[in-house]
Amino acid sequence: MIEALNLTKSYRRGTMMTDVLKGVSFRVRKGEFVAIMGPSGSGKSTLLNVLGLLDQPDSGSYLIDGIDYARTDDETRSAARSRMIGFVFQQFHLLDRASALRNVTLPLLYSETSRDGTARAERALEAVGLTHRKNYLPSELSGGEQQRVAIARALINDPPLILADEATGNLDAASGAEILQILRTLVDGGRTVVLITHDKEVANHADRVLSFSDGRMTGNEIGLRGGRDAGEGAAARP
Amino acid sequence: MTIAGRRGNLARGLTLSIQLLAAHRLRTALSVSGLLIGVASVMVMAAIGRGAEQQLRERLQTMGTDLLVVSAAPAPRVAGRPRQVSVQTDLKADDAIALLKEIPAAAATAPAVNRTAVLRWEGRNRPTGLSGTTADGLRIRNIRAGSGRLFDDHDDRGQQRVAVIGPAVARSLFAGVDPVGRTTRIGVLEFEVIGVAVPRGIDPLGSDLDDFVAIPFQTAIRRVHNLNYVDAIYVQARSSAELGRLEDDVRAILSVRLADRSGVSDAYVIQNQAMLLRAERGAVGALNQLVPAVSGIALMLGAIGILTVMLISVRERTREIGLRRALGASRRNIRTQFVLESGMLGIAGGVAGAIAGVAASAIAAYFGDWPLVIAWDAATIGAASSFILGLVIGLVPAERAARLEPIAALRAS
Repeated sequence: MIEALNLTKSYRRGTMMTDVLKGVSFRVRKGEFVAIMGPSGSGKSTLLNVLGLLDQPDSGSYLIDGIDYARTDDETRSAARSRMIGFVFQQFHLLDRASALRNVTLPLLYSETSRDGTARAERALEAVGLTHRKNYLPSELSGGEQQRVAIARALINDPPLILADEATGNLDAASGAEILQILRTLVDGGRTVVLITHDKEVANHADRVLSFSDGRMTGNEIGLRGGRDAGEGAAARP
Repeated sequence: MTIAGRRGNLARGLTLSIQLLAAHRLRTALSVSGLLIGVASVMVMAAIGRGAEQQLRERLQTMGTDLLVVSAAPAPRVAGRPRQVSVQTDLKADDAIALLKEIPAAAATAPAVNRTAVLRWEGRNRPTGLSGTTADGLRIRNIRAGSGRLFDDHDDRGQQRVAVIGPAVARSLFAGVDPVGRTTRIGVLEFEVIGVAVPRGIDPLGSDLDDFVAIPFQTAIRRVHNLNYVDAIYVQARSSAELGRLEDDVRAILSVRLADRSGVSDAYVIQNQAMLLRAERGAVGALNQLVPAVSGIALMLGAIGILTVMLISVRERTREIGLRRALGASRRNIRTQFVLESGMLGIAGGVAGAIAGVAASAIAAYFGDWPLVIAWDAATIGAASSFILGLVIGLVPAERAARLEPIAALRAS
């Protein structure tokens, strides 16, 4: 599904150049549930920018379904993002004044096919078990429910890849488990999920855990749940 | 992307911008207020300038732009003291006839004796200007009958005791009663009021053109004053363009006639009514010339207001921008959204300013007592340039918004 090859990225802070990604390579297969784990400052945000087609790496390749997006322009990357990637965030980032249903339709604003938006949004809400809450405002929903609305929003364009950034970080244990369960259901349905987290407990729900530290990948292990054949997806470390 | 798709995006972006602006009413109102005040004040300035100009033009029309007034000169002082008589008495009624006959550019002439008198009616007194002139004199001075009739040459020749009064006199002396057909006394003589003139307003020197009583010339010099000279001769040009030449001709003829008569060839002054207005017109012109400069400054200030608010808005909405990017918006989508938003703030300010400008112009015209002129061109130019300024100035915050790093914004808790 995705393939990262020797990704590097540095930022200028004042006169200092800081290398944030120092040659990162890995592979994630279609239908795999992978956790990317690392402490803050390990380059997770930057990697997420690249994986989510929000930013370009300085060098290296980044392939989704065999197409290298490392050198493409913003328009192409945005169109691909809209079609292929669903984001879920720690802070949910729902629009306060909009109903759950309206929040779910938001990505259609930038999508090439916005027909049947409401029907699609209803299906997405059904997939996360929130049909009965579709007219509620975010403030009327629990944290777990808000995150489920956010997942439904990520699903509306039916993307093959879900990027979940600390998706359980703001939730109590029960709600967090619920969300992880939903992500697992998505994987079972054939989607690929990449979960970014700093929490080992959470990471262990994935099939495979990629550990990061200081801009490099430092580990590539099969999760406690016992994923499928991790070795094949991992590229050789540089 | 197809053209249709692009157009669809623009429409969606526009809808989104309207929703966002509506959601932030206070911020929208604040950013728009600068342009609103700018456009409105430009319109008011233009309205005042043009109203004043139109008022001037109307006054010129009332007084006649084609009129020369030849008056007897003030008496020269002898050794620093005035002579016994206060005016030269050398102008004669014959001069009016001679001027008309000898100058082709003169359309009409009329002699006049202008004094003050007290009108009496039913125990009430009303001092006013008493003008004895011919029927032509009334016409030259734009005096028309609002009710009743004017006197004619027949009344003049017959030295009839008839009078035409100005509306100001009619109001105060006859308070509520129709003066036409009433008998008023001027001195010891009784006059029949045969007409009330149409109002003419105030002349540039501030005298009330409606405060007068006019009687036939012959009646005035024979029966009222017993004079053998006149105070003034009105000369009307065939066209206002010929006024300058007319004045030269009048001078040439009068100098000869007066020199023959009394040896003093320059005992008269010629007033060119149009000249009286020149200074005032200059002031109005200066005001009108200021309008473009002031509008430029006002619009720039308004635009800076929008720029400031938009920049703050980008900073405040970092997270929203990041979210939109993550959900599929390209940098161009974000840029377009902010430029549209800014452009809409611009046009909203411009249109609101135009509306406020119309209202303010009306209020200014009401209290300033000049004709209401709506500066539609200023409104159109103001609104259009507000829109363009909004779009152009929106490029700066739009670029900033498009360059934001989305994930950093979204991860900040």
